[in-house]
Amino acid sequence: MTARGLVQLEKIVKKHGSFEALKGIDIEIRPGEFFALLGPSGSGKSTTLRILAGLDAPTSGRILLDGKDVTGADARARDIAMVFQSYALYPHMTVAENIAFPLEMAKTPKAEIAPAVREAAAKVKIDHLLDRKPGQLSGGQQQRCALARAIVRKARLFLLDEPLSNLDAMLRLATRVELKKLQRSLGVTAVYVTHDQEEAMTLADRMAVFREGEICQIGRPADVFAAPNCIEVAAFIGSPPMNLLTTRSTAGGVLIGGRHVPVAASLEAGRAVVVGVRPSAVRFDPAGIPVTVEVVENLGDAAILDLTLDGTPLRARYDRFPLPREGETMAVSFAPEDIHLFDPTTGRRI
Amino acid sequence: MKGHKLRLALLLSVSGLFLLAWIFPIFWSLLNAFKSEQDVLAYPPKLIFSPTLAAFRDVLFGPTSIVPNLVSSFIISIGTTIVTMVLAIPAAYALARLRVPGKKWSGFYVLATQMLPPVGIIIPYFLILRDIGWIDTYQGIILIYLSFSLPFAIWLLVSYFEDLPFEMEEAAFIDGASRLMTLWRIILPQVRGGVAVTVVFVFLNAWNEFLFAVVLSGNVVRPVTISMFNFVSVEQTLWSKLAAVSALAMLPVIILGIIAQKHIVKGLTVGAVKGGGRR
Repeated sequence: MTARGLVQLEKIVKKHGSFEALKGIDIEIRPGEFFALLGPSGSGKSTTLRILAGLDAPTSGRILLDGKDVTGADARARDIAMVFQSYALYPHMTVAENIAFPLEMAKTPKAEIAPAVREAAAKVKIDHLLDRKPGQLSGGQQQRCALARAIVRKARLFLLDEPLSNLDAMLRLATRVELKKLQRSLGVTAVYVTHDQEEAMTLADRMAVFREGEICQIGRPADVFAAPNCIEVAAFIGSPPMNLLTTRSTAGGVLIGGRHVPVAASLEAGRAVVVGVRPSAVRFDPAGIPVTVEVVENLGDAAILDLTLDGTPLRARYDRFPLPREGETMAVSFAPEDIHLFDPTTGRRI
Repeated sequence: MKGHKLRLALLLSVSGLFLLAWIFPIFWSLLNAFKSEQDVLAYPPKLIFSPTLAAFRDVLFGPTSIVPNLVSSFIISIGTTIVTMVLAIPAAYALARLRVPGKKWSGFYVLATQMLPPVGIIIPYFLILRDIGWIDTYQGIILIYLSFSLPFAIWLLVSYFEDLPFEMEEAAFIDGASRLMTLWRIILPQVRGGVAVTVVFVFLNAWNEFLFAVVLSGNVVRPVTISMFNFVSVEQTLWSKLAAVSALAMLPVIILGIIAQKHIVKGLTVGAVKGGGRR
C-alpha cells in the first residue's frame, strides 16, 4: 500500500476584500505526519485548514492531495475527515447515527456500517453511549463522538480545529495523550490547528508557526523551540515566553545591565540587537549581573521569578529551595549558547 | 409588595377584558349554531334554550350542503400549502446561507408583498387569470394564493435556517453529503418546528381567505368562506345555519392550532454546539 495523505499547499493566498488573510502559504505535510498549525487567533491557521478542507476557496494558489490538484474540488470529494472546535454533532441523531453518517454518505453496505460504527466508538471508548443523543453527553463525550465520526471512514487526511479547547484542563491533558496514540495507531496524516503552543509542542511531529497570514517558521517542535527564527516565534513558543531585551552589541558580545556578555554568534560592535533568553536559561551566579526580585510565583516544584535587571523586567525559572524573598537582590549570568539574537528592524534571527 | 399585587390585579383585569371582547363573538356564534331560527331572533336574547343540532344537520346533509365547499377549501388549502413548502424551503435555505446577489433587496420585496392592500391587485389578478383561462380553477386560485403565501413562508423560514450553526453543515459536507442531502438529512430535521409553524400559517391563510376567492372562483371552486353567503339573502339571513357553517369552518383552524402549539418555539439545536446541552 502506498502511503496516503501527502499534503502540498502552494502559495495559498486568501483575500477578504482588500484584507489579506493569507499572504502566500507554502506547506508540505508528509504521509502519516502529525502536523500542527500554531498561531494566535486571527493569524490565518484556521483559514488555512478550511481551505485545505475545501470549506473555503483560496484566492490563488494550489492544493495538492497525494499529488493530485484538488484546489477546485468540493469538500466531499477530498476524502478527508474533520473534527470541529464546536464538534458540530448532528443533534437530532443518536451517537451511532452520527458516527454512521459518513459511511452512509459513502454508500457503504448496510451490513458493514454497524460493525464499523462499533469499532470506531470502541477506539474512543464511547461504545456504551451509542443510543444517546449528543445533548445527553458531557463535553468530553461529545468530543469523542466527533472523533469517532471522523475516524470511522478511514479518510486519508484528518483535520482537527482546536479540538481540545472546549474541554476543561484535566480532561484536555488526558485527551491530548489519547489523541496522539490514536493518530499513531491509525497511521493517518493529521493536521491540527491550535493557539496553544504546549499542545503543538507535545503533539506535533512538525509544526508551522503562523503570524498575520504568514508562516514564520516550519520545523520540529524541538528545533523551533531551540532556534526560533524570528522575534514573534521566540515570544510565542515556550511558557513563560522568552525574555527579550533591546540592547547594543559589543565586540564578541552584547551589553546587558551595563556589562559585556559574550555570545556565540559573531557580531560587529555597536549595532542594535534584541537579546532573547528563555526563563529556564537564566543562571543564578553570585558573580553575575545584579537583579531585584519583584514577584515570586511559586509553582510547587519550582518558581517563576519576576526580576528587574537595570530597570528592565526579566523572568527566570528557579528550582532551588528555599525560594528568595520579594525585594531581595540576586545576581544572574547568561551562557553564550543560551543567548538568541534578533535584528530589531527585521525581527529575523541573527 | 402591595404595589406588586395591585399591578397584577390591574394586568389580569385588563387582559381579562380583552379576552372577553375577543371570545364573545365566537361564543355567541357557537351558541347560535345550536339554536333554532326562532330562538336566534328572540328578543331579549335567550340564554336558556333547548339546544338542537338541526342547523348542523341542514348545512351538512340538507339540499344546500356545505360538504362540497369544505372539500373545495381543503383542496385549495392543502394544494397551496404543499406547493408553497416545496418552493419555500429551498428558497429560504438559499437566502439564509448562500451569498446571492440582491439578497437584501429580495428581503424587502418579500415584506412589501405583505403590505400591499389586496384590493389594489385583485383586478390585475382577475384579468391575468381570465386571459389564461384559469378563472374558477384550482390551479388559478392556488397560483394567486402562492403570490402571498410563498414570500411569507420564505421570510418566516429564513429566520429558522439562519439560527442553525454553519459548522454542522460544513461537517456534513466533509462527511460526504451533497448540499441537497445536507438540507434533507441535517437541516430540515432541526427546523421541523419552524416548518410546522409555517405550514400552519400558510394553510390557515388559504383556508380563511375570502376576498380573492369571491372574485376568482365560481361554480367549480367554491370554498367554505364563500358558501356562507348562501345563507344571507335579500329577504332573510339564516342565522343559525350561518353560525353552524362558521363553527364547521373554524374546526380545522382550531385543531391545527392545537397541534402546532407544541411545535412552536422548540430548541431543537440543543446539544449541537459547545456543550449547549448543559444549559
